[in-house]
Amino acid sequence: MSLIRPFSLFKNLFKKPMTLDFPFESLPAVEGYRGRQILDLEKCTGCPVCSMVCPNLAIELVEYNGKKYPQIHLGKCCFCGLCAEYCPRDALHMTQEAMITIMDTKEAVYTPAKLSQTA
Amino acid sequence: MATDKLEEIKTAVESRFGDSILSFDTKDGRIVLKVSAQASHEVLSLLKDLGFEHLSDVTGTDYIKDGEFEIAYHLWSHAKKIRAIQKIRISRESPVVKSIVDLWPGAQIHEREDHELFGIDFVGNPDLSPLFLEDWKEIPPFRKDFDTREYVKRRYYGD
Amino acid sequence: MATNNLEESEISFITIPFGPQHPASGHFHAKVKVDGENVVDLVAYPGYLHRGFEKLMEYRTHVQNTMLSDRVCILDPFSNEMAYVNVTELAVGIEAPLRGKFIRSIMAELGRILSHVTWIGITSMALGLESGTRISWGDREKIIRIQEILTGGRIYPCYYVPGGVRRDFSQEHIDEIFKLLDYIEKAMKLYDDLVFYNTTFMTRMENVGTLTKEDAIALGATGPNLRACGVAADVRVDEPYDGYPYVNVDVVTMEKGDSYARSLCRRGEIITSISIIRQLLEKMPAGDFKVKWAMTKKVPAGEAYFCCEAARGELCFHMVSDGSDKPYRVKIRGPSFSHALAIFPFLVRGSQLADVPAIYWSLDSCPADMDR
Repeated sequence: MSLIRPFSLFKNLFKKPMTLDFPFESLPAVEGYRGRQILDLEKCTGCPVCSMVCPNLAIELVEYNGKKYPQIHLGKCCFCGLCAEYCPRDALHMTQEAMITIMDTKEAVYTPAKLSQTA
Repeated sequence: MATDKLEEIKTAVESRFGDSILSFDTKDGRIVLKVSAQASHEVLSLLKDLGFEHLSDVTGTDYIKDGEFEIAYHLWSHAKKIRAIQKIRISRESPVVKSIVDLWPGAQIHEREDHELFGIDFVGNPDLSPLFLEDWKEIPPFRKDFDTREYVKRRYYGD
Repeated sequence: MATNNLEESEISFITIPFGPQHPASGHFHAKVKVDGENVVDLVAYPGYLHRGFEKLMEYRTHVQNTMLSDRVCILDPFSNEMAYVNVTELAVGIEAPLRGKFIRSIMAELGRILSHVTWIGITSMALGLESGTRISWGDREKIIRIQEILTGGRIYPCYYVPGGVRRDFSQEHIDEIFKLLDYIEKAMKLYDDLVFYNTTFMTRMENVGTLTKEDAIALGATGPNLRACGVAADVRVDEPYDGYPYVNVDVVTMEKGDSYARSLCRRGEIITSISIIRQLLEKMPAGDFKVKWAMTKKVPAGEAYFCCEAARGELCFHMVSDGSDKPYRVKIRGPSFSHALAIFPFLVRGSQLADVPAIYWSLDSCPADMDR
């Protein structure tokens, strides 16, 4: 036990800081990160597997352009990725987009049109 | 060997309590015994003397079709490295059972939680005031006749 | 206690709230009754994080419940996933393949290191040692980054499923883990200088909140809190599961049972975890990493009970099934339930007011684990 040992922290004065100057710098995106979903309108057939497997009942099937497509309420979504994993047609994927800002809860409901577009 | 230790415990318990032990199972190196509710406190006291000094948990389960609650006491012996689970059944209409705080002081808080969530009365527990919920006016929430989704719709979404 | 010749009934004690904001105690509220500097009594008011997980799990299938069980203890999510997945496999009677078991144990040990590094940060903040907080939470970011690369999620990994894990390790992932282990070993030297062998830390933690062996067992202590009193009890050695039968686990015990002994036990556990991960990576077999599990697989009627060693102590799941694809009853025994509600009020009576945060954080209780 000694009173001098904590002073070895002074070495850090001459090193680069651990923090990044966000939002001007940020960590590079990682492949396989579970951000929000993206839907391929060609491949989706309207089978309700994604809606049945969601733990929070966040996915609903709605009419769009004459077919049934999923509509996801991002406020209820827990970003677990089960919908993308169990989709039998490989139509739903998780992107790396995680910085989503909304001002009104109604904007959190992503219709099939919005889901099929990237940000 | 481990099986000898299990046999010793089985003999010690059955020879003293006979009919009150409804079943004694030693599958996979663990002891699971079902006991009548009146003898529960004495059997636990004997198990504690036999070396089961650590009480992990006091669990309640609601078997609404049988009209009974089942209480399970989970015990562990540090010296013998054996796990024992004792189960008793009490009536659902008037759930009353003797408390075990005189054997394990740490059981007081587990019994307080079961009292709040199931409505079981533990006679001898010094403090059974509500633990998690405030101003709760419905039936104890972990019973099977309480529907969480219907309660949330009624209370928070108004219809 | 100094009373200045007053009658007992004429003394009025002041009640101070401890919590429920983050810098004091996390989401846990307690009312401390003091007479000057001496603590007379403490009454705990838990329930700020009660979400009713045990009831929520009765409405969902087993794969959905695994995604939900992450959120039971936020600081150590892998241990809850591990316990749920293992109890489901016990109830059905299947086993994960060996590579899946090894990957699960590696991630669980990484989660344990993360939890202990977070604990160093929060305890330093509660005692006023702000440098310890900044340095350890910077290192915590490196561990969370590895979790992001391997599992896709930073705080909630959602990585295990009944029957194995969701994704496999590649060779780049294994190289990243080795680099991280070297970094943590070097960082331990700075923690020793700054926190563990710092005069101020030692003076505030030694002989404070001493717990004897008999009291610890009677009140239900488990994990590092029990090992600091001299009892060598560790579920990874007593009832091994997953990858632990194949490695050598070094159980760290201390003798005195005070807050400083509990801190040194956690420091020793970080070093043990690093050695376990190295042994597992060396012996990792090739092959499948999961067994097929249908979305609505039915579990036969019966009961199963499983205990695992979380960072805070013994975490147990008791599952009752009635033959359908949803569980009939799930009971979670969180390790912090006994620590914060039975041991903490017992230790604090008769001590000084400035010792209350030192005792609380040396017990390392997570309010999310306590309330569920």
